[in-house]
Amino acid sequence: MSKRLTLLPGIALILILFLIPVGIVFQQGLFDPAFTIEHFTRFATRGAYMRIFWNTLQVSAVVALACLLIGYPIAYFIVRQPTARRPFLMFLVLVPMWMSILARTYAWMVVLGKEGIINQTLIALGIIDTPIQMLFTTGAVYVGMVQIMLPILIVTCFSSMTEIDQSLLRAARIMGASPRKAFREVFLPLSAEGAITGTLIVFILSMGFFIVPALIGGRKDTMMANVISGQVSQTNWGFAAALAIVLLAATLLILTLVRGASAKLVHHHEEAH
Amino acid sequence: MRDRNFLLPVFYLLVVLFLFFPILIVVPISFSNGRFLSFPPEEFGLRWYRAYFSDPVWMSATFRSLRVALGASILATFVGTLSVVGLGRRRTKTSGFLTAIFVAPAIVPNIIVALGVFIFAIRLGVSDNEFTLVCAHAAIGLPFVVLMVGSAYRQIDPTLERAARIMGAGPVRAFLTATLPPLTPAILSAGIFAFFVSFDELIISLFLMSSAETLPMRTWNDLRFEINPTIAAVSVFFVLVTTVAMSSTELLRRRAEKKNAA
Repeated sequence: MSKRLTLLPGIALILILFLIPVGIVFQQGLFDPAFTIEHFTRFATRGAYMRIFWNTLQVSAVVALACLLIGYPIAYFIVRQPTARRPFLMFLVLVPMWMSILARTYAWMVVLGKEGIINQTLIALGIIDTPIQMLFTTGAVYVGMVQIMLPILIVTCFSSMTEIDQSLLRAARIMGASPRKAFREVFLPLSAEGAITGTLIVFILSMGFFIVPALIGGRKDTMMANVISGQVSQTNWGFAAALAIVLLAATLLILTLVRGASAKLVHHHEEAH
Repeated sequence: MRDRNFLLPVFYLLVVLFLFFPILIVVPISFSNGRFLSFPPEEFGLRWYRAYFSDPVWMSATFRSLRVALGASILATFVGTLSVVGLGRRRTKTSGFLTAIFVAPAIVPNIIVALGVFIFAIRLGVSDNEFTLVCAHAAIGLPFVVLMVGSAYRQIDPTLERAARIMGAGPVRAFLTATLPPLTPAILSAGIFAFFVSFDELIISLFLMSSAETLPMRTWNDLRFEINPTIAAVSVFFVLVTTVAMSSTELLRRRAEKKNAA
């Protein structure tokens, strides 16, 4: 009985600073003061907002897939190393997360700018005459976001890979499977769930990005969080709230869809064996 | 397959280089002595560190952030640890549902929390208030405490606490003497994690605070108008602080692990 009581402070904190505020966002977006979908029709009918919404989805998807393609082999490499060496290899992946996101974005501004390091070097080497536009481009946003999200994917993949019994791979090799086949038939299916979870986490966290697109992206790289913040500074709370609801709904929808699909996929695979 | 054995380490090194790239850029810039930003710097010195430590605006933003992060971290760690105890070891429908709610702030984009907290605080007349910011930051730090302390809690053998109860200790005393000591390293790590969630948070602070700046707000306002090497000095200083903090908790954790294993 007393143990249940210890839940109360946590519930109070979450209720007052998370559940009620999210409820208020819904209220602001849907009532003005009577029920209205005016803000949502505005969102759906103005091309600019829909474009920003699709851009948010697209950037998040590209970042998530890029992290998967880069991060999965890295996690695989680390997990195949002797157990004593793994913590150090993971440590090197995690250290960059200790630098503030603002500071890291600042570094990209310095590197990619018109008078930045890359342009200066290329001009000094005589490879180009005039600086290339790199800052304020979609490419810059991808680079900045992947640098931030990659460690998260590697950690998720790595922790699910450590649970795979390495002797299974050896067994497959002894039974005559080529290394490639042993990897594809044994390791890949067993690590798929962790990889999907990691990709999904990166995708969801990317949907809310604010600093990177604002500082190193161009005008067309604006994401949902940037418009919401812009609407708040113009005190259009209702419309800001509607945009926030769209962002939240999209996040939850994708979470449910991918979770369902991946559960089925893993289930099918297990049945097939 | 020999080629893969050679390619993967090279790939790993390239990726680590990419991940470290921002740090490798910012450190030399922070030690440059030039008036303008140049890379590699022509002259080294502590000019930008002096600029940072002697600027009252940067200093007050730094102290505000440290204060808020400390408060948020203590609140999140205390409340989160209590919640972990309340959730218990066995997975039930209720505990699963409550865990999902405790973890939700880590999944929902901060901009949504920021908007809701901002409107709610205005209605209650508590916007532009450091204490409100502490509570909001505690709420977004709570998921990490519940997850980190929770996983450590489930690994602790409950027999010890039960034995303490049988020997006549009250529930609080049994928890404090039997369960809390092995849980301390996880609580400390979670506390430091919650500290940095708050210390690096921009958007909630940006909405909620209007008359006073936190360190990320100061950096943000600075970055939008000019690229000033002071930011490099600030971030290198805090990378150092973080490295020391993280390494010491890791050492604590390892020592505790050894103790448990012995």
